[in-house]
Amino acid sequence: MLEVENLHVHYGGIHALRGVSISVGQGEIVTIIGANGAGKSTLLNAISGIVKTSEGAMTFKGSPLPTASCAIVKQGICQVPEGRLVFANLTVLDNLMLGAYLRHDHKAIKSDLDRVYELFPRLRERAGQMAGTLSGGEQQMLTIGRGLMSDPELVLLDEPSLGLAPILVETIFQVIEDIRKAGKTLLLVEQNAHKALSTADRAYVLEQGQIVKSGNARELLDDPSIQESYLGVKQ
Amino acid sequence: MAQFLQQMINGLSIGSVYALMAVGYSLVYSIMSFSNFAHGGVIMLGSYFGFYLLTLAHWAFPAAFVGAALCSAGLAVIVERVAYRPLRLRNAPFLYFIISAMGASIFLENFVVATIGPTFRTYPTVLPRAPIEIGSVYIGRLDIMIFIISAVCLALLVYFLDRTKVGKAVQATAHNARAAKLMGINTDLVITLVFAIGGLLAGVAGVMFGMKYTVYPQMGGITIKSFIAAVFGGLGSLPGAVIGSLILGIMETLISGYFSSQFRDLISFTLLIAVLVFRPMGLMGKATEEKA
Repeated sequence: MLEVENLHVHYGGIHALRGVSISVGQGEIVTIIGANGAGKSTLLNAISGIVKTSEGAMTFKGSPLPTASCAIVKQGICQVPEGRLVFANLTVLDNLMLGAYLRHDHKAIKSDLDRVYELFPRLRERAGQMAGTLSGGEQQMLTIGRGLMSDPELVLLDEPSLGLAPILVETIFQVIEDIRKAGKTLLLVEQNAHKALSTADRAYVLEQGQIVKSGNARELLDDPSIQESYLGVKQ
Repeated sequence: MAQFLQQMINGLSIGSVYALMAVGYSLVYSIMSFSNFAHGGVIMLGSYFGFYLLTLAHWAFPAAFVGAALCSAGLAVIVERVAYRPLRLRNAPFLYFIISAMGASIFLENFVVATIGPTFRTYPTVLPRAPIEIGSVYIGRLDIMIFIISAVCLALLVYFLDRTKVGKAVQATAHNARAAKLMGINTDLVITLVFAIGGLLAGVAGVMFGMKYTVYPQMGGITIKSFIAAVFGGLGSLPGAVIGSLILGIMETLISGYFSSQFRDLISFTLLIAVLVFRPMGLMGKATEEKA
């Protein structure tokens, strides 16, 4: 579904991505794990058209990915950004409706809104409240719900569990499974390697802007070097 | 008492023109986080557009008014394209934007001096000069018109920002441009739109200011007052800009009426400094960040 080939990104003199190639198939959950500064968010931002790529090719459903971020959303790729980034001065409902900014099919928008409320009943209760007054966990739910409102085929999730209490982390990962069951494809960036690898089908390990390992997520979970570097298991 | 009421009404009238100007500053500030000093130049040229559409093209006043507003909107968009967009595409630090804005402002002023000339011009009389008498209070027809037009423009702006989808996209872009992009919002288009709206209001304000006083190349400098009002109210906050402007307008007329018009500006600037010292975020500016 999504093919990224030999992607390079520079921030001024910093070479953040050094020839990254990944592929994501229809209906899969693919995860990218790696340490801070490995380039995980940069990769998602490159796919979303937020950062410029200096080299490489990306195709989505067989055709080249547009470069403008709004055109990419229109194609059916949405990013749920790290750090929530809700529109704090707008209501929860406004935030969700901005997720559907490019859509005009009012009936389908309404039914997607109901589906988001089913996924996160808390958001329905707080629909009229300013998004900035929500707790961190609720803001994360809102960010995910807002992303789903664009009716994406591919959802890019950036660190959805960051800074959340363990019980909320469980909820978020449950929702990730639910989103897949609803027919979406997910590309998940996580520092919580254990949760990510137990949820995903396939995984890539990103180190200093390069993919150093890839394969079946369960197998990587049992891989001794992964266990030592990312799961804190002492050999 | 009658005199006080009259001063209050004059103050509201001039304050509402400051509000139109201040809202333009605030809108651009809320999206791009820099003070668009070229705004004064757009207001000044808006005043000239209106003047020439009335005197040279002999348009009817309502047509000239709308025409001047549209020309100013176009000019504001051109200023954004030429002076700011190239900086934006290179992620230039905000200081560069301010310097570019000052350059654009000086350019516009001198362009008018060099082409049209430095002389003061007076708008033709559009409304009868005789004031309306209510009891013992005399109100200028122009003052009433200025207040009504400003109020309608501001109400339309609030409606647009709070009730329409595109207005919400403007607010979203102001809050976080990257997140807005991820929603599929074309933030470049939003910025163009914000400059167009600011320019439209600048044109309206310019024509009304020209009618109340005179038209001259340096009149953009008077918009420093609307900038004071915007800072006083809280830069980036539209209600703040409006309230700050009305307070400034009323204060100015009261000071001129009861004390001395020579002290008017001295007191306005003292007010600005006092606000910046005691409440740097302005009356209604954002005091703290939102909850993390």
